Amino acid sequence: MNDTAVLLLAGGVGSRLNILVSHRAKPAVPFGGMYRIIDFTLSNIANSRLTNVAILTQYKPLSLMDHIGNGSSWDLSGRSRSTKILPPKTGEKEWDWYKGTADAVRQNLDFFTSKNYKNVLVLSGDHIYHMDYRSMLRFHHEHGAKVTISMLEVPWEETNQFGTGIIDKKYRIIEWEEKSPHAKSNLASMGIYVFDRDYLVELLEATKEIDFGHHIIPNALKEGSVFAYPFDGYWRDVGTVQAYWDANMDILDAASGLSPETWKIMTNLSTKGIPYDRPPIKVSKTGLIINSVISPGCIISGKVENCVLSPGVVVEENASVKDSIVMHDTIIKEGAHLERCVIDKKVFIGKKSHIGIGNSTVINRLFPDHINTGLTLIGKYAVIPEDVKIGTNCIIYSMVNESDFPTLYVTDGENLQKKEVG
Amino acid sequence: MDIIAMILAGARVDDLGVLTFFRPKSAMPYGGLYRIIDFPMSNLMYSGIEKVGILSQYKPLYLMEHMHNGEPWDMSGRHRFVTILPPFKGMGTSDWYKGTADAVYQNLDFLSNHKPDLIVVLSGDHIYKMDYKEIIKFHLEKEADLTIAFAKVPKKGAHRFGLANIEDGDTRGGKILQYTEKSEKTPFEWASLTIYVFSPYVLFEALRANEAENSHEFGKDIIPFLLANNFKVFGYKHTGYWGYTRTLQEYWQTNMDLLGNPPSIDISSWGICTNLSNFHTRDRQPALIGPDATVEDSLFYSGCQIKGKVIRSILFPGAKVDSQALVEDSIIFSNTVIKQNARIIKTIIDEDVTVGVNAHIGENAAGELTVVGMGTRIARGTKISSGVTIYPNLGPAKFTKCFYDTGEIIK
Repeated sequence: MNDTAVLLLAGGVGSRLNILVSHRAKPAVPFGGMYRIIDFTLSNIANSRLTNVAILTQYKPLSLMDHIGNGSSWDLSGRSRSTKILPPKTGEKEWDWYKGTADAVRQNLDFFTSKNYKNVLVLSGDHIYHMDYRSMLRFHHEHGAKVTISMLEVPWEETNQFGTGIIDKKYRIIEWEEKSPHAKSNLASMGIYVFDRDYLVELLEATKEIDFGHHIIPNALKEGSVFAYPFDGYWRDVGTVQAYWDANMDILDAASGLSPETWKIMTNLSTKGIPYDRPPIKVSKTGLIINSVISPGCIISGKVENCVLSPGVVVEENASVKDSIVMHDTIIKEGAHLERCVIDKKVFIGKKSHIGIGNSTVINRLFPDHINTGLTLIGKYAVIPEDVKIGTNCIIYSMVNESDFPTLYVTDGENLQKKEVG
Repeated sequence: MDIIAMILAGARVDDLGVLTFFRPKSAMPYGGLYRIIDFPMSNLMYSGIEKVGILSQYKPLYLMEHMHNGEPWDMSGRHRFVTILPPFKGMGTSDWYKGTADAVYQNLDFLSNHKPDLIVVLSGDHIYKMDYKEIIKFHLEKEADLTIAFAKVPKKGAHRFGLANIEDGDTRGGKILQYTEKSEKTPFEWASLTIYVFSPYVLFEALRANEAENSHEFGKDIIPFLLANNFKVFGYKHTGYWGYTRTLQEYWQTNMDLLGNPPSIDISSWGICTNLSNFHTRDRQPALIGPDATVEDSLFYSGCQIKGKVIRSILFPGAKVDSQALVEDSIIFSNTVIKQNARIIKTIIDEDVTVGVNAHIGENAAGELTVVGMGTRIARGTKISSGVTIYPNLGPAKFTKCFYDTGEIIK
């Protein structure tokens, strides 16, 4: 598979994930305890034996770059393998930020024109799925396609979030709609494209248009050589907090089809902040774990039910966490009770606090479109004082501490930000 | 200060029986994730000693994979290394290592090429945390030729160690007044941890003098030689936890010391590093705990799936406990599967074992340990008492009886 160059577009902002993406790009959001969203795509690349990868970053790329390193965690570094990170660079005239997916690829044409590649595989780092790209490449050749788009059927009510296409009997795409409110088809693009390298260069050089879905694909469609590769496995966009929560919980359900270990998902296990490897999970005599995903370094002395815990989470005695996602090194002190929370890294939950418990029909005041299903978000490094009661559909921002709490109550749908200094 | 450490990692101790059929003791799994050698390696890392030779001759494959060029301990680089030193054929005399001292002697050129200021010789099979900088500081302060670390041990069983009478005065340690090796009736309470700090010329001289002898051990030969010839031999007193694994019972106990509240070993404060790309450990998903599982006072790692009941036990990556199965006071190595309704009590089960549905192994916590070797498949419904030894790689057809009593060996 050395005739295929892989371009991974990892610049996704994922703004509907709200404070989970205030410090990191969507592909770098932790998932399933030990992983980050991008691990799924990177592992698919490695497991498909593709060896030349460029990762295009733009939005808050630091934690992503840290995580990817030189690609060795996915066996993507070596004499004949490489992982390059391509941030936007100064063009001839000015600092050129990537203006869209096609623009980002256009600005890095030299990555795949400098060597004699036959195909270019364009991927995004935003999705949870398992795919062998080799079958898609085979499909591409067998159908004599110049462009192949991986597509799957989505619920009709979600078609407005995707590019959708109508295909003929031979999987040729004959009509294309981009994020249409009244789509004629529910066969949606997964943002995975195979291009004939030379045809891609031709398409990109013919116009200055910036987006694949909006511009480049409709242009190519006119020539009749765009095909849909049908996919029907597990695939989630995890674009909203609720979808993110649901997909995390899918690991607990063997019937969901999401199974990182069977999918051979790899991640970078190097630990930041501690010089040693995470020790095994410790459950003390008072600990109780029911139906949960638990990562190394967790110490459980309280009750954990239907949760996904990242490495290093501590749940003290008489504390309980239910239906929640808790990220790295968060400490939940004695007697605290948490329900339906998504808690970012290194949060401190004070003794006897109650979080996420309330009336879930009261949706978030500032972000009614993001937080409306009865989940409460707590940002990185937040410190929740003792005895505080925080309702449901709330957002507690990153770095908030004791002095930012005007009272012991944050009511349903409310938000708490760090006070401006001075 | 340029220091080289030599780890004696070759030994296969017969007392651990079926567990050391395929690996040296230093590569024995420990604590749900680690190998015993991770402890001296992590100690070396924190002590800033980054040049390590590993003397290994018994089944070194497993160990070589684990050491991974020293990368897990940040010991690969321009001036850092971890080198495995197997026995080799020389011009004439070189042969299998004839003892701990001979192993080092055969690698004298390795040591002298590096021109170290000090040589630290360590055993690769003890569980302890030590900052070697302290014993080195003590060694230099006392202008010692050899400094040996000692720990207090209970009288019972003490005869298995090298024992010393150490001069009082300095709380850290003092001159060794008397030393006996593995003596049955000895009054001394300080036992050797097999941690030696040598001034290089003293080590070289002692090893050369020992060449012509019939026995080539540090404890039995080198230390008495140095004492007899009035070298300055000091004892350094180690006061923290020291876990040894000379018998199955001790190996089991040293593991169990990780449990309880508070545990005797607070592993996370020890900051141990291991090789996470070891094939048993890498690419595991986080542990999955089922809706009807009970896990109490136990350790487990990624890749474990627990649907049954696990009490006071330690599970390694990929160990699985099916629903209604019980694992109590036991150690389960990687990839072993305990099927439905099986009951495991006070048993050590090696890697890749399958315990069939309804099989019972071990009687109660007071009984002797039962041990199951690597890769064995125990037939469904088999009842095995405490104190039974089961050999590796047995198929279910080998289990012809429905009950095996204490003391039986199934092979």
